[in-house]
Amino acid sequence: MITNSIEVKNFTKKFGNFTAVDDISFTVEEGTIFAFLGPNGAGKSTTINTLCTIQEKTHGELKINGNDVTHHKDKVRNDIGIVFQESTLDGKLSVEENLKLHCVFYKVPKHEIKERVNFVLKLVDLENRRKAPVDSLSGGMKRRAEIARGLVHFPKVLFLDEPTTGLDPQTRANVWDYIHKLQKQKNITIFLTTHYMEEAEICNKVAIIDGGKIVAHDTPHNLKKQYTSTTMRIKSSCKENLLDYLEDNNIKHKLDKDNEHVLIYANKVDDVLKINSVFRESIEDIEINKGTLNDVFIAITGKEIRE
Amino acid sequence: MIRTINAIVSRNLIKLKRDKLKLFGNLFMSGLLLFVFSFVMKSMGKGLDHPMNYLISGIIIMTVFQTSLTNSMNILEDISSGFMKEILVAPISRWHIAIGHVISTAIVSVIQGLLIVFIGLFMGLSIDVVHGLGMVGLMLLVGLTFSSLGLYLATISKESSNFQLLVMIISFPLTFLSGAYIPTMALPKVILPIVYINPLTYTTAAFRFLTLHMENMPNAALIKSGVAFSINGFVITPLISMGIIMLMLVIFLYLCVYRFNSADFSRVKTFKHEH
Repeated sequence: MITNSIEVKNFTKKFGNFTAVDDISFTVEEGTIFAFLGPNGAGKSTTINTLCTIQEKTHGELKINGNDVTHHKDKVRNDIGIVFQESTLDGKLSVEENLKLHCVFYKVPKHEIKERVNFVLKLVDLENRRKAPVDSLSGGMKRRAEIARGLVHFPKVLFLDEPTTGLDPQTRANVWDYIHKLQKQKNITIFLTTHYMEEAEICNKVAIIDGGKIVAHDTPHNLKKQYTSTTMRIKSSCKENLLDYLEDNNIKHKLDKDNEHVLIYANKVDDVLKINSVFRESIEDIEINKGTLNDVFIAITGKEIRE
Repeated sequence: MIRTINAIVSRNLIKLKRDKLKLFGNLFMSGLLLFVFSFVMKSMGKGLDHPMNYLISGIIIMTVFQTSLTNSMNILEDISSGFMKEILVAPISRWHIAIGHVISTAIVSVIQGLLIVFIGLFMGLSIDVVHGLGMVGLMLLVGLTFSSLGLYLATISKESSNFQLLVMIISFPLTFLSGAYIPTMALPKVILPIVYINPLTYTTAAFRFLTLHMENMPNAALIKSGVAFSINGFVITPLISMGIIMLMLVIFLYLCVYRFNSADFSRVKTFKHEH
């Protein structure tokens, strides 16, 4: 049986007259990675903050592991781990002290604390910086310490609010390695917000949010299939024949700016293969691009996510 | 519950230990006041048996007051640094957090007070075990009272830096009008009403009464020494003063826990720390 870790029904959040989140509904299956994708101000953080019990909803029903976030705050808080957009570590304390304090707050049994702290520090490669005051760490290390802290009480659901924003590409990749490692080891559900497309690609499900509304919600694969096409850029010695063929077969296309290459937008893999086999001899240059989530985003919202 | 409160207390104490500048800054301030007012006391405190001890006892308790009031507002720093968010999403009751903060601040203020007591010992202050314990108890009571007040004020503030300044501006003159540095007997009659409604007057009186071993003195002598007050014939004895402190503790503690439970900390505006 499929169990849902997160259930959101008709959730609305208003700040005065401003509607930050407008009647959204979605569910997240246990053990999956779910991404909330959208530009700044789309309502991502508002949703996370409400799910994490630090903001009150205006309308709707939000549940984590079956517990309502408004009425059973402590049960919800016990089950979740959060890595906020901004640092929430105590800079004057050491990494280890931050983690131990967290363990106390989350009622981790005393005799397990040491073992767990070691486990998560190893997971994020910070074992040798355990005694260092948080203020002395680099941005990437702080982020990793923060992730370690979010995990040390073994949450069932982990919220990551833009976990890799402001990190260099290498550290970002590392952070993602850790997240995957952990998800496999502990089968936790991960809910993340991001505006990095490539991060959303590896999630099980993606919801695209814009202006407080969910405008698309599916697997990255289905979204790309539905909203994007495969683009082929071909230079052929029999250009006219190719154009005729495309016209006859009703395949969307246009001439590229250089008047030599033909841009072909194929919705089916079959089309791609056929064109290649028919014009095999005459193709001088070919470039095939699969649609990305960025294309999906542009197709749906008509704008690009700014980074 | 005990574990949570304990953790918050030890965290705040660790922070104090690392923030030596704050610790010694306060100590320096108290030392300075002691130095400056010792001259004033020499000329004004003629009717007193031990003018220096009289002054030191006032400085000790005002140190406890200032430290507890300002340090409990350090929670505003936790809000601006983001750490508050970590606490708020943890499965712990808000009132545990509030109590943890009040207790740790009170402990810090007692430590600061004890440092002045230590200095006082070299200046002729004599303390026996019973009085010593009584003093610590009263310092703790005062510390708890004003940490609660500070925490309450912090939770109702919307803008941290201005607010802290405002509290300083109001509390500092009150310490001067409490009889701690200048005996109330020496103050001009015009400002006596302010002295009488100033809660610090009674805080100082009760502590001074205990520190200077005045248990066996009659009311008239207590009034003459400025540790009891006759207002329109009604005598506020040091014992009543202690009652006033306890009453304040109950009120402030209730207010701060109540407010803390329902406060929305995301609204506090602070100067963003540059990282």
